[in-house]
Amino acid sequence: MDATSMFGGAASGSLALDRLVFAAERAQTRSAANEDPIEVRAIAAVKAGDAGSYDYLVSKYMKRVVSIAWGIVRNAADAEDLAQEAFVKAFENVGRFKTGEPFGPWIYRIVTNVALDVMKHRKRFRHEEITDAAPAARRDRADLPAIANELARRIDHGIESLPEMQRIVARLYLVEEFGHSEIAKMTGLSEGTVRSHLSLARGKLKERLADLHGGSND
Amino acid sequence: MIDDDDFLERLRDEARQLRFEPDDMMTTRIAARVRERIAVDSQTGIALVLARWFRPVVASLATLALVAALGVQWLEQSREVSATTLDALTSTQSVDISVGGDTFSVE
Repeated sequence: MDATSMFGGAASGSLALDRLVFAAERAQTRSAANEDPIEVRAIAAVKAGDAGSYDYLVSKYMKRVVSIAWGIVRNAADAEDLAQEAFVKAFENVGRFKTGEPFGPWIYRIVTNVALDVMKHRKRFRHEEITDAAPAARRDRADLPAIANELARRIDHGIESLPEMQRIVARLYLVEEFGHSEIAKMTGLSEGTVRSHLSLARGKLKERLADLHGGSND
Repeated sequence: MIDDDDFLERLRDEARQLRFEPDDMMTTRIAARVRERIAVDSQTGIALVLARWFRPVVASLATLALVAALGVQWLEQSREVSATTLDALTSTQSVDISVGGDTFSVE
């Protein structure tokens, strides 16, 4: 069986499943409430002017925030600065944060926005280095985490070879495991655009990873 | 045959390990810098609030004081002018009174 026949023809079947996932995500988003009482208390305290209570929120979301930033800028030093910037921004705007909602989606959205701003800035000033032909070359390879196996390495390489927004959406979906609606909120794109980027990324990844996934389902 | 969703789910299982894990040094550094910056921001915030409330109040009071001072000065000046005019009138003008063909001048 060749790769084309293995991966082709499943688009119509997956459409209904996509709709179901979309409905489930929407229901989840509507009923999202903060279930961590310590977090609720910490947010209330920060809103009341107790800056010390912010430590809890920083330590709880730190790793994920750094990982999201790193996934976009692919540089540890920049990711560190971006995480710091995101937490400070969140603190400055905590008055606008709706009480009772989880802090996570909010801080993830902030860090994604600041990271995307950095990418725009890079694009403006180092345009010649950011091309779809070799996007991975400009990135700091030394910052890559130790990847345990060949498949993960190939996936990483596959994601990195995608055009900018497909790469970011694919990474948020595959690596950070966010849903379509969460990615839409974080990036400021519509859900349709997120699905479109993901669909294009999926096609390219299928081609590039055909030999790895092809025979496993036979 | 592998469908689109299975393919992505399989990738997700493997891609999880591609998350970036900051080391303890990095997390400590970020937490310390955030703490430092929000402490500065809090102080700046208080200063800003004070400035926001006090500046207009001080400006209004200064305007009122200026208006009052100018008003008092103007009143005093006009009082001095009318007193001077009255003095001038009374000191320089003489009144002539004629009685039975004789004219008397009264100052």
